[in-house]
Amino acid sequence: MKQVVVHPERCLGCMQCMAACAVAHSRSGQLYTALAERPLPRPRIHVGAGLYQEGFPNRCRHCDPAPCMLACLAGAIWREQETSTVFIDPDKCINCASCAMACPYGVIRFHQDPMAPPGKTVAVKCDNCDQRRARGLVPACVEVCKSGALTYEEMDEAMRRKTAAVARSVSAGAETSGIPAAIDLLMTVKKARLSL
Amino acid sequence: MEHLIIGNGIAGVCAAEAIRRLDPSAGITMIGDEDTLPYSRPMISMVLEGVLGEERLPVRSAGFYQQMGIKPVLGKRAVAVDIEGRRVEVEGCPPIAFDRLLIASGADPRRLEVEGSGLENIFYMRTKKDVRRMLAALPRARKALVLGGGLVGFKAAYGLLRRGLQVSMLITSDYPLAMQVDREAGGMILEKLVSRGLDVRTAISVEAFNGRGTVSGARLSDGSRLECDLVVVGKGVRPALSFLPAGVEKDLGVMVDQHLETSIKGIFAAGDAAECVDLARQKRWVNAIWPEAAAQGRIAGMNMAGRKVTYPGSLSRNVMRIFDLDVMTIGMVNPDPEDRNVQVLRHHDPVRGTYRKFVLRDDVLSGAMLINNIQQGGLFLSLIQNRTRLPLDPQKLLEPGFNPGRLRP
Repeated sequence: MKQVVVHPERCLGCMQCMAACAVAHSRSGQLYTALAERPLPRPRIHVGAGLYQEGFPNRCRHCDPAPCMLACLAGAIWREQETSTVFIDPDKCINCASCAMACPYGVIRFHQDPMAPPGKTVAVKCDNCDQRRARGLVPACVEVCKSGALTYEEMDEAMRRKTAAVARSVSAGAETSGIPAAIDLLMTVKKARLSL
Repeated sequence: MEHLIIGNGIAGVCAAEAIRRLDPSAGITMIGDEDTLPYSRPMISMVLEGVLGEERLPVRSAGFYQQMGIKPVLGKRAVAVDIEGRRVEVEGCPPIAFDRLLIASGADPRRLEVEGSGLENIFYMRTKKDVRRMLAALPRARKALVLGGGLVGFKAAYGLLRRGLQVSMLITSDYPLAMQVDREAGGMILEKLVSRGLDVRTAISVEAFNGRGTVSGARLSDGSRLECDLVVVGKGVRPALSFLPAGVEKDLGVMVDQHLETSIKGIFAAGDAAECVDLARQKRWVNAIWPEAAAQGRIAGMNMAGRKVTYPGSLSRNVMRIFDLDVMTIGMVNPDPEDRNVQVLRHHDPVRGTYRKFVLRDDVLSGAMLINNIQQGGLFLSLIQNRTRLPLDPQKLLEPGFNPGRLRP
């Protein structure tokens, strides 16, 4: 089963994944009209700035066992076994923030949502784009990512690729880190700026 | 293998589920004194407030016991444990034998020992039934008195206020939530409560209640009198261990090791009844909170089923939304001011309305308190739980834009 894999070393911090995520979870599904919707659709992936201002795309890991699920007072958080996706049921959610206190990655937000009962503030997080996947589409954040920081692939495949890259990087005469030169340059500039 | 679980709360439920996952054929029996599906105790205040019906409280579906192959013995209390004979005596039914026993009996409210505390309309808010009785008393109630500035007191006061009652809250310490927050945050919370019409009195307690059958007033420690027709006592809880035999080592709660096993092999304890090491304080402590009960139940269950897993220790924590103030506290937030190994960082931002405080001991985070902007609080919880040596200047934790990306090596 394919999953979203995050490669933070490639993130440029452009935040297009955030916009795409918000649109994917809007009523209309279109950026232009989504902007006029109330409640305003919000992203479920959060790009933060790291220590040298590099981007860090932070999204739900759908942990197993999931700390948020164990901490939920209302029994609103559940896992879909087939896709291993952790969902929050907006009808059952009581907005108590117990999940926020449990989530080690800080990816749960509290606001009104087009999919929740009108006027109700609920806990909202990544749902692995289950609506898009049902239509045969890849998750919105992956579709829009230009730098390869977000990919949608078999976890085994991703691990093999990563292992191979590490193996190459330690062999004699290795030069490439596997990261495109432009991204590498940008990261180097950011790091250099910090040390100045 | 016959597993017996005393307690039908979240610790017992998580234990039963863990046992069943590892051992499809094990016998599992659960004893519970409430004749009901496992439900969310922390949510009963929402029933009092009137935003939820009682039907929303269960945390497992109606077919839970049957689907999990659990034999429920509900509406009955365990009265004694026979360690040698490996069986538990239960009121009103024959003794139940076990190979492995879990004590997940939870806690009962700390009783108030003052004159008149047996009068009608003096409530302890702990169970569904307590709230049902409170709801029945509501139509004739005007002035409520809430004792205790802890979480239960808060939730009760909030619910009663929303029901249109006049509410007075008496707090023994000089600011609310003294066990959870520091003086500065306590002040912010107090201000918020007073602005919303709650009458809060600090550094005061009740000396006696009066009334004819039903409570009608209270005499306070400063000699004054207060009229009230409904009282809620929120003075904390104590492990419910009346059935515990002398052979099992106990302090305030049942002492457990890192596998949540008691001093007697094959007998485990979890949840509000268990006492283990507190990760922030680094000493034995009972942290009677829902998420720890769930976590302990799960670990205890796995150990009972034969998978040797460890539980590092518990951590006090709470999150509450008080009107538009979000308050999260994790671990030790009021350290001993004499302790030289402790470093305290804090930042109050009146413009954003946020307050952040971190307590570090030997460069390891041991406490965090956040007011507003609490969404990433779990990150601090995991830093405390894992006793992570911070890879960055701790001052950076105070920045409003702090995110997990900053912890990358």
